Amino acid sequence: MTLKIEHLTGGYTGVPVIKDINLEIKPGEALGLIGLNGAGKSTTIKHILGLLRPQKGKILLNDVNLTMQPTKFKRQVAYIPETPVLYPELTLKEHLELTMLSYGLDASKSWDRAHELLKMFRLDDKLDWLPIHFSKGMRQKVMIVSAFLADTSLLVIDEPFTGLDPLAVANLIDLIKQSIANGKMVLMTTHVLADAQQAISNYAVLNRGTIEVIGNLQEIRQHYGLRPDDPFDKLYLALNREDNGNA
Amino acid sequence: MRDLAKKRLNENLKQSVKYLTLVFNDFFILALIFLFGALMFWYAQAMKSMPTNLWFYKPLVGLLLWLPLLTGHLVTLLKDADMQFLFTQDEQMDEYLKPMIKYSLVLPTILIVLLGGILFPFATIKAGIPVWSYALILIGTILLKAVMILIEKENLYFYYNFPNWVSLLITLVVLLIGSLGSYVYPIEVIVLMMMGHLGTKKDKGVFNWRYAIESEKARKDRVYSIFSMFTDVEEKQVTIKRRKYLDFLLPKAIAKENPNLFLYRRSLLRNPEYLNLLVRMTVFAILISWLVQDWRWALGLSCLVIFLTVYQLLPMATEFDSNIMYRVYPIVRDNRGKDLVKVLNLGLLIQWLLVSVFWLILLPIDSHLWISIVVLFVFTMIINYGYLPVRVKQQKIKR
Repeated sequence: MTLKIEHLTGGYTGVPVIKDINLEIKPGEALGLIGLNGAGKSTTIKHILGLLRPQKGKILLNDVNLTMQPTKFKRQVAYIPETPVLYPELTLKEHLELTMLSYGLDASKSWDRAHELLKMFRLDDKLDWLPIHFSKGMRQKVMIVSAFLADTSLLVIDEPFTGLDPLAVANLIDLIKQSIANGKMVLMTTHVLADAQQAISNYAVLNRGTIEVIGNLQEIRQHYGLRPDDPFDKLYLALNREDNGNA
Repeated sequence: MRDLAKKRLNENLKQSVKYLTLVFNDFFILALIFLFGALMFWYAQAMKSMPTNLWFYKPLVGLLLWLPLLTGHLVTLLKDADMQFLFTQDEQMDEYLKPMIKYSLVLPTILIVLLGGILFPFATIKAGIPVWSYALILIGTILLKAVMILIEKENLYFYYNFPNWVSLLITLVVLLIGSLGSYVYPIEVIVLMMMGHLGTKKDKGVFNWRYAIESEKARKDRVYSIFSMFTDVEEKQVTIKRRKYLDFLLPKAIAKENPNLFLYRRSLLRNPEYLNLLVRMTVFAILISWLVQDWRWALGLSCLVIFLTVYQLLPMATEFDSNIMYRVYPIVRDNRGKDLVKVLNLGLLIQWLLVSVFWLILLPIDSHLWISIVVLFVFTMIINYGYLPVRVKQQKIKR
């Protein structure tokens, strides 16, 4: 029961963005993916979701190879995108029904869980609304509710905190902690380390398409020569220096 | 700002001309000439037999002249991004809107003059309005529209709020009274309205960007809706309608559904492009069947219409491919042709049923007609079960 990314090289047609990435997440583990804009975080995620075709390497989840059995692989992955993407023709209730259908969930059990999540994010009275009536934060909450409803073994979260109110951020962090405690795997990209730290202790630093270091924040500080009392934002300055030095 | 306005007006004119040439194609012009000719012929005949000077003639003239006032709102050509980039230009907006007001008056003026011309014999001979007074009313009507557009312009500022329906009500009353005999009355009212308008013109205040942009969007949408009846309008934004009253067509339980079925059903019912197409094509089939009045032609043309309906609904198959969540979710896409067939089947059956029922009402009933109904049914099924799945399979699945 692990996510294994082995020697993954990929990106957009002809342009490799990520080079030889190796990652492993075990059940009950969460990994934060950090790096400057354009470092390859989103590209890595797109590969895991099967939205891009790898140029080299493979991605396995619980021994299911993404390229060989895409549907079986995807049934084990839920995704919260950075910008919410909804179906304009479906109501909130129907988005949840579609999630149940796609992931083959038992409807009555799932609805209990759905109501719990909807209440948590204060959406329980908006089941019949179409997405055009939702604010950006509310749309993001719909994505969160759908993803946690799918109850998959891997959860991929891209920049989850933007646009959420502090209450929702706290709830999301709780949900991520619960998932980890239940033996799920979490992969999350973020720039907001202050929030992420509450749920995630291990991080991989991506720079110019390669992983430079994996470890807890302490180890990452050491790797980049930061003092214990330096603000963590200095990491980004160090990455920027490296970037310029190599340019 | 004036340059920006002029540039936008030019672009808008080019775009309108592009769509107008598509709408008024040879075929449509021919149909219009026939229609107009028939109407004028009927009008000329009616003029001969109509009694003169009935009591309601004069107010009828007033009412008819009021109708063009319902068309043509203030064109501002404001765009979403203006809220960001022209945010500091509140005081220059007056300058920007000046050429817009002139432009906005063109269409209503043409309509008023055209209608005024058509109504001229009736108004002067049958209703007994003196020629010069009638001309005065026409000028009054054009000026009333100008004042209405000026009011619309002022409404774009926060300090001013004069609902459009009040303008319409006042102009209706003015034109009714005017046509009844006080022929200069509209002009007097315009002078009064202008004076009142100038009286309120103290501080311009803040420009209501949100309202102005929303109204322009709504206006454009109305124009595009008219164009889209005849041709494809790429700028037209699809606004999904909830249509709760159609929910009874959706299965109550989702147990027997699959994701593609689930999505296609809702798309057909709520995406105006698809449902409107189905309705439009059905009405079209009924209308041409009625016009040709012959079972052979009716059958051939209706088959063609059903084929075209399915052909135009084909994009539904790949509609969701651009939605990233559709591709992330574990949704199997290989058999979605069959799902689309299931969803469209009901729509096409309703289309066949309606066409058949109207054939029985409109065409002479004989054995040929009954056979035609069966043939149309078989054809519909062949198109839906034979043609559609093959075409959907041919469409590339984006990976």
